[in-house]
Amino acid sequence: MDEQEWVVTELDRLFHASQDYKQKALMQAAAEIIREQEIRKEQLQGELDGTLWSPGNWSN
Amino acid sequence: MKTLIIISHPEVDQSSSQQFLIQSISDTMRTNVTVHILEKTYPDGKIDSAYEQALLKKHDRILFQFPFYWYSSPPLLKKWQDEVLTEHFAFGYRGDKLAGKELGLVLSIGIAEKEYQTGGQEGYSISELTKPYQALARKTKMSFIRPLSIFQFAYQSEQEKRRLLVRYQQYVTLKRPDSLKTREKWMIEELKTTAIDTLKMDNAEFIINQTIDQIEDNRMELDELRMHIDNFHD
Repeated sequence: MDEQEWVVTELDRLFHASQDYKQKALMQAAAEIIREQEIRKEQLQGELDGTLWSPGNWSN
Repeated sequence: MKTLIIISHPEVDQSSSQQFLIQSISDTMRTNVTVHILEKTYPDGKIDSAYEQALLKKHDRILFQFPFYWYSSPPLLKKWQDEVLTEHFAFGYRGDKLAGKELGLVLSIGIAEKEYQTGGQEGYSISELTKPYQALARKTKMSFIRPLSIFQFAYQSEQEKRRLLVRYQQYVTLKRPDSLKTREKWMIEELKTTAIDTLKMDNAEFIINQTIDQIEDNRMELDELRMHIDNFHD
């Protein structure tokens, strides 16, 4: 398990352990923002790959 | 940034969505957030416009929060608009007291989101139906921020409600509440101040710190990727 997965799993445990509703919402949101960052990274990586492989740039 | 939430609802105590939103505002947020319920302040419907105008001047972001009845607000908020947003205060000669502030809407809506479009049961989008508020912002030189529309609160799952709670907290307190970067910063600050004693786990503090590190590391990677892409286009 990589570190990111570990953090998300632990946040889920904290979510269940918390006795405060607003704090539960915060733990859920923390895990969700990490997943959102992961998706954004994949998108940017895709954009970078697409840019590098663009035939328009091959002559450079 | 100071936010004024003007709530209008004929039976606010009975409204589960309004109570949920009011409860979502944490004690630490309350230093910069004023919750102002019109029907509670003026049970007889007589509005003190001088007081209301003074209240407006003290805040930077003004939110109208109400159930979306017949594509508009409950009657007391309309009366408030008529009596408080007067010439020489909100518009006209020297009527620049609201200029530069932000106006936003928090709408609770009983019908599903998909119906608010061409071909849907309602036929018009929320952007179209809220034009009078957009025009109000324009005339008073406020900037209109994207509304927070809450569709069918009663049918939302617990997970959706928790998500709404955080979105609402961000909508009320953050500049550019939609930006990922802004939300990351907000999250880190919230995690730093969250009460460890209500997290009934031995290593709770360690997990919280690891979470903050992870969010920061991800942000560094995102900025680096963006830099590479931008460099390539230069």
